[in-house]
Amino acid sequence: MGPISATLPHFAFDSTRLLSSPLVVLHKPQNPTAAAAAAAMSSSPSPASRRPPGPLALGLESSANKIGIGVVSLSGEILSNPRHTYVTPPGHGFLPRETAQHHLVHLLPLLRAALDDAGVAPADLACVCYTKGPGMGGPLQVAAAAARALSLLWRKPLVAVNHCVAHIEMGRAVTGAVDPVVLYVSGGNTQVIAYSEGRYRIFGETIDIAVGNCLDRFARVLELSNDPSPGYNIEQLAKKGEKFIDLPYAVKGMDVSFSGILSFIEATAIEKLKNNECTPADLCYSLQETVFAMLVEITERAMAHCDSKDVLIVGGVGCNERLQDMMRIMCSERGGRLFATDDRYCIDNGAMIAYTGLLTYAHGVTTPLEESTFTQRFRTDEVHAIWREKEMPVLSNIHADAMAKVSKDEASMPTPIIVDS
Amino acid sequence: MAAAASTPEPSSGWDFKCNFEVDYGSEEQASIVYKTLAVDRELQPDKVKREVTVSGGKLFVHFEAVEARFLRASFSAFVDLMVLVTKLVEEYGVADS
Repeated sequence: MGPISATLPHFAFDSTRLLSSPLVVLHKPQNPTAAAAAAAMSSSPSPASRRPPGPLALGLESSANKIGIGVVSLSGEILSNPRHTYVTPPGHGFLPRETAQHHLVHLLPLLRAALDDAGVAPADLACVCYTKGPGMGGPLQVAAAAARALSLLWRKPLVAVNHCVAHIEMGRAVTGAVDPVVLYVSGGNTQVIAYSEGRYRIFGETIDIAVGNCLDRFARVLELSNDPSPGYNIEQLAKKGEKFIDLPYAVKGMDVSFSGILSFIEATAIEKLKNNECTPADLCYSLQETVFAMLVEITERAMAHCDSKDVLIVGGVGCNERLQDMMRIMCSERGGRLFATDDRYCIDNGAMIAYTGLLTYAHGVTTPLEESTFTQRFRTDEVHAIWREKEMPVLSNIHADAMAKVSKDEASMPTPIIVDS
Repeated sequence: MAAAASTPEPSSGWDFKCNFEVDYGSEEQASIVYKTLAVDRELQPDKVKREVTVSGGKLFVHFEAVEARFLRASFSAFVDLMVLVTKLVEEYGVADS
C-alpha cells in the first residue's frame, strides 16, 4: 500500500460543527450529515490554498506494523495523513526487528509526503508529536528518534502522546461524539473506557491477548492474506459463513479473555476442516460472532455503570462492520447512538498523534528532550487528559488570534510539564 | 562521512569492543545526532556499554560488550537509527560551516 493520503479527500470541519453534531458517521450513507460532509470533503479546496486558523502539529506514529505521519490543526482539520503498512506473508506475524526496519525505510518518504500534501513548511508547525507508547519497543523507537531530531532541527517543542488516548481523541474529533463510552479494540489492546475526572478510566479490558491479536493469529492458522490486514480478510470470509460452531464465551465481570478461545478454535479448525465438518468461512463467522458478542456485552455494562447512551468504537478492529452492526443494535435498544469511523482513522495513523499532541500543547504541556523516551507499557489512565477538563473554553473559542499567540510567543508558555511522570 | 571500526585487545569481562566515528563537518549537526540518540539508554547495561561524544563536528561512538552477540545487536540497532537521523539532518539541517 502506498501513502494513503494521495487518494484521500482532505476534509475540514469547523469548531461549531465539531461540538454540535456528528460530522462524519461513516458506514451510514443514508445519514444526511454524512452525505453532506462527504460532499464537502470532495469539494473542499486543497489545503495548500488555504490554511486553517490556529496552530498546526506534525505527528509520527510507529507503535506497531504501521508507520504514519500526519499534519493537523487544532480545529481538528486533517491536512495530510500518509501511512505505510508492513505486510507479512500469509501465516506469519510481524516481529519487532523487521517491523522497525520497515519503518526506518519509509519514514523519510512519508515525512516528505505529509508536508507536501498538507502544503506546509516545518516553520508553520507549532510542535512535533510522537507516540510514546504503548507498543513494540523497536518500532516505537523509530518515531521517537525521528521526532527528537526534527524537534531539534526545526526548533519546535516535542510532545509525547499515549497511543490509546490518541485513538480516543481522533474518534471524538472525527465523529463528534462528546462523552461516549469508548470501546478500543486493536491488535494490541482491548479496553472499555470512559472519561471521568481528568482521566480516561478503564472499565474493562482483556486479561490476556487483544481481540485483534486473537483474530490475526487465527488468520495465520487459515493462512489468510495479511493484505490489507488479516482482520479484514477474516471479516470478508465470515460473510460466507453459514454454520455457527459453539466456542467458549469468556466474559469475566467487566473483563474478557481471548487466549482460551484462540486455543480452542485452533484445535477445532484443524480437526473439523480435516473431517469436512465445516468450512474456514464458518469458523471465521463463529469466531467473530463470539468475540464481538463479548465486547458488546462489556460495553453495554459499562454504559449502565456510566449512565451513558453513546458508544464510540476506535482501534483497528473498530473498522469491522459486523462489530459496528452488533454494537449499533445494542445501542439502539438502549436509545443510544453508535459512533464509528472507517479504516482511515480507526487504524493507527499519524494525524491522531498530531491532534492529541496539539491538544496537550495548547494547554501548555510539552515534553523536554531528555524525557522524550518511549515505553512498551503505558496505560490509558496514566495520562492526565488536561484538555478534557478545560475542553469547552478551548474548543469552542478557537480564536485564531488567541491560539496564534500561544504558538508565536514562546515566553508565554508555562514551564513544560512532564506528560508521563 | 567516514567511519572506521576495530576490535582491540581483551580485558576484564568487557572483551568485545567497537569504535567508530562519523564526520558531519558541523558541530551543530553532530550535536543534534548526539542529543537525539543519547535519550535512549542501552537496554542491558550489564552486558553492553555505549559511550558517545561529539568533537570537531564528529560523532565518536564506543561500544563495549561481554559477548559478541550483544555487541552486534546493540551496534546494528544504533547504526540503523543513526542512519535515519543522519538522513533527517541532511534533509532539514542548515549547514553552519
